[in-house]
Amino acid sequence: MLRTHRLTPFLFLAPMLALLTFVFGYSLVKIFDFSMRRIRGATGPFIGFENYRQVFKDDVFHLALKHNALLLLAVPILVILSILIAVLLHEQVRGWRFYRTLYFAPYIFAIPVIGIVFSNMLSLNGAVNQLLRGIGLDRLALDWLGSSNLALWTLMFVIIWRELGFGIVLYLARLLSLNEELEDAGKIDGANWGQRLWYITLPQLKDVTEFYVVINIITMLAWVFPFVYVITRGGPGNATQVMELYIYNFAFRNSLPGMASAVAVVLFLITLIFIIPLFTLRQRTEGGEAS
Amino acid sequence: MDTPTNKRYSRRSFLKLAGSGLAFVSAGAFIQGCAAPAAVPAAPAAPADAEAAAEAPTVEEPIAEAPAQAATTLKMWWWGEQEAPGLEKWLKASAEMYKEKSGNTVEMTLQDNASVIPEFQTASAAKNAPDIQFLWNGIYHMESVWLDYLEPLDDLIPTDVLKNSGATALSVFAGKQYRIGWYSAAPCWLYNKEMFADAGLNPEAPPTEWDELLKACEALKATGYTPITGGLKDGPWGEWYMGHGLTPNLDTAADAVNLFIGELDWREPRYYDHWTKLDEIWRAGVINDDMLSIDLYPGIDLFGSGKGAMTAVVVPLIGKQVETLGMEKVGAMVFPVSGAGAMNNLPIADSQGLGISSQSASKQVAADFLTFLHDPERVNALYNEVRALPTDTSWDGATQIKDEPFKTVWQTWVANKDAVPYIANLMPVLFWTDAMFVNSQKIIGGEYNGTQAGENAYAVTQKWKEQNPDMVENYKAWAADLAKV
Amino acid sequence: MTTETPVSVVLETPAPKEGRRIDWFDIVKQLFLIFFALLILFPGYFLLITPFKTQTNYSADKLGLPSPFYFENFTTALRGGRFFLWFGNSLIMVVGAVLLSTVVAALAAFAFSRMRFRAQTPLLAIITALMVIPPVVMIIPLFIFFSRMDMSGSYASAILVYAGLITPFAVYMLTNFFRTIPHEIVESALIDGATSLGILMKILVPLSAPALVTLVVVNSLWVWSDLLIALVLLPTDEKRTLMVGITVFGSRYNSDVPVAMAGMIMASLPMLLLYIFGQKYFTRGLVAGALKG
Repeated sequence: MLRTHRLTPFLFLAPMLALLTFVFGYSLVKIFDFSMRRIRGATGPFIGFENYRQVFKDDVFHLALKHNALLLLAVPILVILSILIAVLLHEQVRGWRFYRTLYFAPYIFAIPVIGIVFSNMLSLNGAVNQLLRGIGLDRLALDWLGSSNLALWTLMFVIIWRELGFGIVLYLARLLSLNEELEDAGKIDGANWGQRLWYITLPQLKDVTEFYVVINIITMLAWVFPFVYVITRGGPGNATQVMELYIYNFAFRNSLPGMASAVAVVLFLITLIFIIPLFTLRQRTEGGEAS
Repeated sequence: MDTPTNKRYSRRSFLKLAGSGLAFVSAGAFIQGCAAPAAVPAAPAAPADAEAAAEAPTVEEPIAEAPAQAATTLKMWWWGEQEAPGLEKWLKASAEMYKEKSGNTVEMTLQDNASVIPEFQTASAAKNAPDIQFLWNGIYHMESVWLDYLEPLDDLIPTDVLKNSGATALSVFAGKQYRIGWYSAAPCWLYNKEMFADAGLNPEAPPTEWDELLKACEALKATGYTPITGGLKDGPWGEWYMGHGLTPNLDTAADAVNLFIGELDWREPRYYDHWTKLDEIWRAGVINDDMLSIDLYPGIDLFGSGKGAMTAVVVPLIGKQVETLGMEKVGAMVFPVSGAGAMNNLPIADSQGLGISSQSASKQVAADFLTFLHDPERVNALYNEVRALPTDTSWDGATQIKDEPFKTVWQTWVANKDAVPYIANLMPVLFWTDAMFVNSQKIIGGEYNGTQAGENAYAVTQKWKEQNPDMVENYKAWAADLAKV
Repeated sequence: MTTETPVSVVLETPAPKEGRRIDWFDIVKQLFLIFFALLILFPGYFLLITPFKTQTNYSADKLGLPSPFYFENFTTALRGGRFFLWFGNSLIMVVGAVLLSTVVAALAAFAFSRMRFRAQTPLLAIITALMVIPPVVMIIPLFIFFSRMDMSGSYASAILVYAGLITPFAVYMLTNFFRTIPHEIVESALIDGATSLGILMKILVPLSAPALVTLVVVNSLWVWSDLLIALVLLPTDEKRTLMVGITVFGSRYNSDVPVAMAGMIMASLPMLLLYIFGQKYFTRGLVAGALKG
């Protein structure tokens, strides 16, 4: 540690504090204030919890909430697939380097690009259905984005398609830092592939999994805007409405930033609920390491 | 790692963490305090502001509030290049000419369609509004009128220019006009004359009754054509459809406002009849099957590429369809609904327009520029260079326009005294997204029939009233106004 | 997790191979991996071949190879210069925000890693937590704030916000990396009379080159790909970023899919190249943020 004047550290911290206080601090305070006002343009009268009341009785908000909750189903899928694929790659199955590069590739395409590609491919007469019809699966050539029963699941598929690569790389990195001796001991004891995965590998991946689950929960609840905005705009008939789009629409379309702010507060509080376990997790793993 | 952060967090340190979180947030509160209310000019610079300002190479100079004889710089925010390519060039040329004539400069910023109105409202609330603002018709600028962001134009622009600008009745509130018309954005339907002829229909006489339309669709389908094309994934087709479908069942534009504020009831068959009819034609299989998975413009372009016989458009989009399909094949028609109202079977007029901010320091200069845009030479150029149809009724379109279908469109949709206002413009965005878009999408998706669509429309208007109690009285006043027209 | 370096993940050296014996289980594994490979390759194939089709070719056959190969779509997508304008705007955002954020974060990380001060640990914890707060929560006040300051639609407004949003990750990552640099180096510099700033500039920053590259790569990807901030804060045509540009014109106003796909390919090239030449930085950076975060 450098010996410095008591205030020197704050000199170094000042630019960062100014920046973050503005972007996060100011906004987070202001959003609570806005959520209590009927904002027209940039300001408006104080109306207490009226915005919250309106939001909670709006059936479109209920739909948005429900859809975000349904998107959480992507979390276990992402976890299971990431682990399975990472384990296989870690075993160095034939072509693992190629697979690794390929599986991560979707992650570097920007979401708007992915969204537009999939929008075109998944339209009723798009490439996917042409393929299905071509191999005789006409009955599977569904209206992936146009049917309100399917659109949310299609969206979830696209989200998984892009986000999976990150999970694989994450788990692979973790596997590479694991204790090989345990695995070898397992082999000597005659444990089969499944047993080794279940009893030896998985327990060692616990901390990464906890982290990955929390991050994905937050993603599904609060970071899916670009997918929805580009691919379905919340449609058809609000079938893919989510909280972020609801905020965007009320703030910048329906001229009710007050109501949008109320939802933003809700979303912020939800995020906060998940940040806390993320922290305890992280401190626990770091504490564990130090010992 | 041998740093202090490595120690385990206890419950107490977590509380401490929360405590400094509060400190952090209260620093935010401090900035908020410094960002002075908009009404106070030149707020003392808060830390973040100072930093922001230092980072801001593009901060605009305040508009010089110079005496009238000195040169003025006007700020103008607009939209339109997106639907009428070439408009920007025309506008820039106009500004150049105006500068030579008057010495005044117009600085133009082309906005996105999602932001052009919200940006203006927010800027107005912050007292940073541009002098000249692009305005869609109806509620899109009326809300700003009610918030006192717009200046009445009656005393600023010569009456004949203003009244002949084609701004329509939806630009007037309490006897004052707030918007000057610019170019036509009338919604109409196009049909393919060649396909009509192939199907044994009269290519010069498109259907004018609902039953005729159904028969025409049948004949077209039997000939192997898709009778109607459209794209509904992004939603606005549903707005157009309601505009075309509901109008014939109304007597005046005031009816639409009354429906919206609950004086009339969406659940009456007459007012959801058009949604029942949409259900009917969809079930008859006369619309492209992928309607729900393609967007509005691709749906229209199916018509242009010869994959369908009829489609809904707005006037600025006709040019592209004519270009790809060929002038001789494109006809324009009124969507025939056979409604029970006084506005049945009439063309709908609508225009894009411009207005002046109530905060502008140079309102008269801004008004002079708007008047200059209606100079006969400029109006001619608007048609000749941009292929946008001017809405000036004083313009001699009949001789200036040589090509079909523009000639017909001008005569029927623009220069026609019987044309009716576009009623979708009387309803705010929430009703567009949650009723017009959703109803059409759910009908096509098989989830709603006409009755259910009417019920949803009713529910959405009720919801809107609860969310916007401060706007309801304005709507009532507007309805009274429109009933007098 | 090893402690020598925060980006200690060495992806290049996996465990020793098991003996290769061909059995049914290996085949199952391969089939599983091939299935996912195809799922990923299919959209890639579509994106790659569609720009070489004419519109007629495309609407007749969305799957097959182009016949004939048609190259005009790329020039059509570039016509009018809008593409380059958006491209330039995105570049301004990336350079401005990443530069600002990296400088600010390096200064802060120096204090966090090499000095002691009050509330140090909780402050770092809070800054780390800011990483997961979704931008949509902050966007309304920021939009209104810039409007009040008459800065709406300016580059500066968006750069500030982007820089703010990526700074927590930058601080976190640089702090961890600076801590791995041995004390001895710093101390010998102190004996030579270096100032605090001198130590940061002459020792820590040069020694952190790999971490800095990783940081720049990951944050550039973030800013380049963002849609929401640009949509709200840069609504004017001349300041539009590439992602907003392709979203607005790639789908809604353009039914010429081959041209749109040509645009998509060109919009993806910078990041694709960055990935091909800096794959390890990408994966390292993302994993570093995650495994420790």
